[in-house]
Amino acid sequence: MPQALTGLKIKALRKARGLTQHELARRAGISASYVNLIEANKRPVTMALLDRIAVALDGDRAELDGESERRRLHNLNEIASDPAIANGRADPAGAEELIGRQPEWAEIILNLYRAYRDRNEAVLALADRLNRDPFLGESIHSVLTRVTSIRSAAEILIDNDSLGAPDRQRFLSIISDDSGRLSDTARELVAFFGNTHTRVRSATPMENVDAFISDADNHFPTLENVAETFLRSFGEGAGAAQEASRIVAEGGAAAAEPTPKGRFALMRKAAEELASDAVQAIVAEHPSLGSDVARELAANALYSYVAGAILMPYEAFARAALDLRCDLDQLMELFGVSYEQAAHRLATLRRPGAEGVHFAYMRSDPSGYVTKRLPLPGLHLPRYGTACPLWAIYGAFQTPGVTVRHFGALPSGDEFLFFARAVDKSPATIGRPRHLQSILLACPASEAFRVVYGDGIDRAQATIPVGTVCRLCSRETCRHRQEKPLLV
Amino acid sequence: MGRDRILIVEDEPNIVESLRFILERAQFDVEVSSSGNDGLDRLRRQSFAAVILDIMLPGINGLEVLKHIRDDHKIGSMPVLVLTAKGQARDREAAEGLGADAFVTKPFSNAELVERVREIAGR
Repeated sequence: MPQALTGLKIKALRKARGLTQHELARRAGISASYVNLIEANKRPVTMALLDRIAVALDGDRAELDGESERRRLHNLNEIASDPAIANGRADPAGAEELIGRQPEWAEIILNLYRAYRDRNEAVLALADRLNRDPFLGESIHSVLTRVTSIRSAAEILIDNDSLGAPDRQRFLSIISDDSGRLSDTARELVAFFGNTHTRVRSATPMENVDAFISDADNHFPTLENVAETFLRSFGEGAGAAQEASRIVAEGGAAAAEPTPKGRFALMRKAAEELASDAVQAIVAEHPSLGSDVARELAANALYSYVAGAILMPYEAFARAALDLRCDLDQLMELFGVSYEQAAHRLATLRRPGAEGVHFAYMRSDPSGYVTKRLPLPGLHLPRYGTACPLWAIYGAFQTPGVTVRHFGALPSGDEFLFFARAVDKSPATIGRPRHLQSILLACPASEAFRVVYGDGIDRAQATIPVGTVCRLCSRETCRHRQEKPLLV
Repeated sequence: MGRDRILIVEDEPNIVESLRFILERAQFDVEVSSSGNDGLDRLRRQSFAAVILDIMLPGINGLEVLKHIRDDHKIGSMPVLVLTAKGQARDREAAEGLGADAFVTKPFSNAELVERVREIAGR
């Protein structure tokens, strides 16, 4: 956690409130000298203490712990640990200082790195194309064959003055024949390079969308309002489904299948009608979404959010999650949704005053490719690579459909409950590879008592020392380490 | 003493024409196979002083033919000249590993090719 930033921010907010260190200390139930040390960044602040300080300052924890700064800091540290860019000698404190004092320059470095990675991907894709394109391979073979034949025949004509007329004619024909074919190949090659539009998609827009969703804490009050207004008019369950069918039918689409996937697809389509204005308003004003592609991706994510909010109305879902202690199987049953939909909804329960458990959310395919991420304070989810191999998200692939769970302690000392399940993205059928993805939820260990998945695990005995990314992890003797730590 | 016999395993008829001409001018007898399998058959049936083997062949490729030659105790010591393409360093390395005696890179000069064939055929 960027303690330097937290200290600075506490100090700034305290001064803005016109409080002395003594007064803040009294309100937060700690000593004045401790406040002094915290503000000078000489003492770490636990999340529980930060909550108390936030209350004492009549502020928000998010304001103090600087979620977006933390995200930038982790991203800068990941960049500093990239051996192609840095030598690993960068002082992590420098990154904090840069973000604290020169946030615009920090942003420029991050943008540069993203652009660099985009270009790298593009170059690799093009190199791969040049090396493996079957047309190019064949063309090169053809050129060499024709040139070999022409050269050899031409040398025969030159070296043999006494060549008889039939032989002379034979080799002239070979030269003529093969130079004709060589011209054809040359023309095809020119056409190939002239007409090829190699478009390489930028990887950046998805990152912008991630940043946008994280900034909003994955909670969108105006979209919850749209869903609630709709539900008030048509009732939860069958009424809403009927109305959604009507809206979608007007657009000419077919009726939904009675599966969670079908129901969600129907609501998703209806959401495009219902929430169009609200979604466009959110997307238009957010500074992270600088391109049309990013805005479109963000809008898609928000329409899905609305669909989730209709199928799993905030209040009812939050109450059920509380009563059932986030038991996803029961929540799926109760709301008729899939594991992924219910798990994602759990990570959106962030309405002030009616908050659910704070969950980080991450989705990965079996190769470790992360397709969705929503971090938590203190739990960074890797941006540019795979996470710690000890996380449940990877173990879950060994037993699809079964929840894998454990407590994990990060090198920072923060502890989390991790639980994950690998689910079929589409129904498994004969002759088609299974399409699995693993969904991870993680919450601070201090909140684990509100989650069934922490039950029966002896935290004192069974907490696993984990990290986030090998290169950034200080557990030097870890047996699961794949890369040496570059920042220690 | 009879003329030494060379087998050319190459599927491009125009290249074969020239190879045959220059080798005959250099006092060799020449036989031609346009596929790897046919080449192996001929090698097992007749005796040759050397083989010119193209790498890019239809069916089994030149590297596989070379491996079969070296694995066969009757023809295992046959001198083999491999025709590689310029820039295909990997093919050349593979052929070297399989025990090729000489290499000529396409597009080749006739004089160089004849010189190499003379060397490996022991003339």
